[in-house]
Amino acid sequence: MKLRPQLNPLTQRQLARFRSLKRGYWSAVILLITIVLSSGAELLVNSRALIVSYEGNWFFPTYGKYLPGSTFGLGYEYETNFRELKVFFERQPSNSNWVIMPLVPYNAFEVDLPASRYPPNAPSLSEKHYLGTDTTGRDVLARLVYGFRIAISFALILLICNYTIGVALGCAMGFWGGAFDLFFQRVIEVWSNVPFLYVIMIIASVIIPNFWTLMIVMVIFGWMSMTWYMRTSTYKEKTRAYVLSARALGASNARVIFSHILPNSISIIVTFVPFAIAGGITSLTALDYLGFGLPPPTPSWGELLSQGTSQLESPWLVTSVVGAMVAILLMVTYVGEAVREAFDPKKFTYYE
Amino acid sequence: MHLRMNPIARALIALVSTLALIGCGTNDKGNALPETPGEVAQEIVSYPVNGVLPKGLTWETNNEDPIFASADAKPGGTFRTYVLAFPLTIRRVGPDSNGSFAGYTRAGFLQLVSLHPNTRNFVPTLATHWAFDDDGKTVYYRLHPNAKWSDGTPITADDYLYTLDFMRSKHIVAPWYNNHYTTQIVNVVKYDDYTISIEGSSAKPKDEILYEYSMGPVPKHFHVLDENWVRENNWKVEPNNGPYQISKIEKGKYIEFTRKKDWWGNDLKYYRYRFNPNRIRVRVIRDVNIALQHFFKGELDTFGGVLPEFWHDKFKGKDFDNGYIHKIWFYTDNPQPAPGMWLNQSDSILSDQKVRYGLAHAMNIDKVITTVLRGDYRRQHTHHEGYGDYSNTSIRARAFDLTRANTLLDEAGWTERDDRGIRTKGQQTLSLRVTYGQSHHTPRLVILREEAKKAGIDLTLQLLDSSISFKQMLEKKHQIAWMGWSGGGLSPRYRQFYHSDNANKPQNNNLTNNAVPHMDNLIDQYRAATEKTDRVELAHQLEQMLHDTGAVIFTFKVPYTRDAYWRWMKLPEFRGTRVGGLFNPMGGQFWIDELERQSVLDDTAPKTAPVSILDTTYLSE
Repeated sequence: MKLRPQLNPLTQRQLARFRSLKRGYWSAVILLITIVLSSGAELLVNSRALIVSYEGNWFFPTYGKYLPGSTFGLGYEYETNFRELKVFFERQPSNSNWVIMPLVPYNAFEVDLPASRYPPNAPSLSEKHYLGTDTTGRDVLARLVYGFRIAISFALILLICNYTIGVALGCAMGFWGGAFDLFFQRVIEVWSNVPFLYVIMIIASVIIPNFWTLMIVMVIFGWMSMTWYMRTSTYKEKTRAYVLSARALGASNARVIFSHILPNSISIIVTFVPFAIAGGITSLTALDYLGFGLPPPTPSWGELLSQGTSQLESPWLVTSVVGAMVAILLMVTYVGEAVREAFDPKKFTYYE
Repeated sequence: MHLRMNPIARALIALVSTLALIGCGTNDKGNALPETPGEVAQEIVSYPVNGVLPKGLTWETNNEDPIFASADAKPGGTFRTYVLAFPLTIRRVGPDSNGSFAGYTRAGFLQLVSLHPNTRNFVPTLATHWAFDDDGKTVYYRLHPNAKWSDGTPITADDYLYTLDFMRSKHIVAPWYNNHYTTQIVNVVKYDDYTISIEGSSAKPKDEILYEYSMGPVPKHFHVLDENWVRENNWKVEPNNGPYQISKIEKGKYIEFTRKKDWWGNDLKYYRYRFNPNRIRVRVIRDVNIALQHFFKGELDTFGGVLPEFWHDKFKGKDFDNGYIHKIWFYTDNPQPAPGMWLNQSDSILSDQKVRYGLAHAMNIDKVITTVLRGDYRRQHTHHEGYGDYSNTSIRARAFDLTRANTLLDEAGWTERDDRGIRTKGQQTLSLRVTYGQSHHTPRLVILREEAKKAGIDLTLQLLDSSISFKQMLEKKHQIAWMGWSGGGLSPRYRQFYHSDNANKPQNNNLTNNAVPHMDNLIDQYRAATEKTDRVELAHQLEQMLHDTGAVIFTFKVPYTRDAYWRWMKLPEFRGTRVGGLFNPMGGQFWIDELERQSVLDDTAPKTAPVSILDTTYLSE
């Protein structure tokens, strides 16, 4: 029994090649770490404490039901302000109660408005607003992190949906050809000409778009591009000798497509993936920037960007969001570049 | 009384009958109208005299009030300002005519009488005298004999009669005007070339009649009313009667107004020393922040600073430090708009008065004011503030008070709380949707939302396109409508907002679906009352009843105007009137010192300490 599945030698060679492309490889590693960290962002950036020890009992407030202030002997029934609780406990040296706060002790929604200063407030280490606050007094770093999590999951889900439809339909068009192919070619041509941005604007003005409605609209208008590549590639592969031999041996359509044609077209799909992710992030950001994206107060890069551009006197707003976007998109592009190179059958290309 | 008809009706009659005069009542058509389709009535010279003045009219006028301009004012110079978009047309009425530029064009058309901004009395303008009929809805006017259109044609009674024809015409494609000049102003009668009467639809107190049933003339000799009117008048400069007329249109770039050399109104008491600049150039600058840069370069003379971020953060720099650019914060006292949270009382959650009260106590409006609004705005307590005696100043809005909010919500049965700390009752969560249409209000709502959580209320924010959000409110599909009605007029208005006739029906202004029988009663009495003291008393009661329903949580008022202006812009000693508008280009009292402009721009003018004026003359609290 094998402990790990045996990759085919070609794939192994491609992975090795990818690993040897340092820039892309490390970008991929950092990007993956960022995504993993952001999925547990509540443990790093949150107004709820990680651990509270109160009169011998330990509390883990991060996930789960809210804890009213009265739980810890504070005189209110709404959710405990753990930052204040920490200060409160520290002022009583005799007592053994303590609070451990996350790295950034703010969530993406709460407004922190110190007296006599007006938002946006500049970055401050002592207040733990490492990137300052926005025009409403919310922590910029917290909004960046949670905004990233939303943007990246949006881009990934969008990618999966678009590719499932695009690959399936493109394959089918290439495989069956004929009237089916002709029909869908025309459908796609017509559909591609619908002005996507206007449709989004109209929809956003009538309903409140949420994560899933926005996703559905983006999928409805975004699946087309992949079909063309898959269609051509399937056309090409299906006339190759190995497909004909498989056919001669009596392989079913399904087997021909899934075991022979798709694996041989994978390099096309993989090459486009990073760019599709970058596209997903930028389109969500652009829609939020224009005000047609996710409804407020959802943390979003686009909303932060639009605040930043109208508040150039508060440079931390625009620099932090632009910095974050450039970093993420640059890494995604490096990964894409490396993937393309790793999957390129020619190690050297000469341009004439 | 004769019967007047609109041109379409006349044309129809001309078509169906060769006897065009039949059916037109009395001798209205003494001079036969050549108004058959395709041929238009341009030759009409004058309308026939149709009335006999009742005996014993008491003619009134007002030349006793103080003037509100400075004798020091120097005429001359060019005032430069901007708009964000080039107007789609310079017509006064019809499609696309109601944009932000309309204020400039309409200011060139005076009315029969106007309101003195400080005393709020009526003063003569196109009319020199007025008198009231005993029926309580008709007012007589003596017209100013010298009043002229900008092309030199005298303004006579015929232009007022023509106003009815014009405003009732389908060719102008202006349903609001069609309706107003049919249902509100029902008749205009000519007694001689300089005497008319206007009859309104219902009896009102005297000042209300002057206010509601006033109108301005339309130049009869200029217009050709046919189906092409809208298209042909998009860029035609209509003769007007105000001090300025459009002299140059550079499409997409700017529009220039020039002061008329011998304007007929130069000698009117309340119009002297005003309208001082020779030219007014309105440029198109499509972004506020870019416009601010133009202002800093001295290419614009003034810049509005009501928004806190402009006043506190962006109005800075060496020209402020050198005293070249001054700042002024001028409190005003005029009818305030009514912004607030309009609770839909037909909603299953908000139909409970205790919930409405609890919600009001959970709204930390003061925190919004002291934080994102920089402490500049003030709390609005009632619907009608700044209406003088009519305003009920004893009512205070419900203050932020978590204890009371919690008690009220507990009493209403919202006792359980879910994982997020939001109150629940049975299967229902205390989650309320706030519909709004201005993205720059999001910070205010975010703060309210965070504070409301403390009382266990979850507000979800529904930001829609502004026209779509308004439509949703008019169709009563909202839970909480975050919006404001504009203020104005002489006295409060209640019927459209709070009468049960409008409740639970779409497309009207009763956003709270308010239906209180006793309130209906008082509203009807208020509308019928013609004595001011009765009306004031009723208005106070109505305002109190509104407060007791808890149907509206009023939010902010901005009882001031703020500007930054270059030092060459001069204001009178009293700076401005009760209604503000310090640098209103079409009616302000300011003047321009062109010599000083040069020296300031050359940087040769003497520098002074920074100047920031706070004027609280008209601060009412």
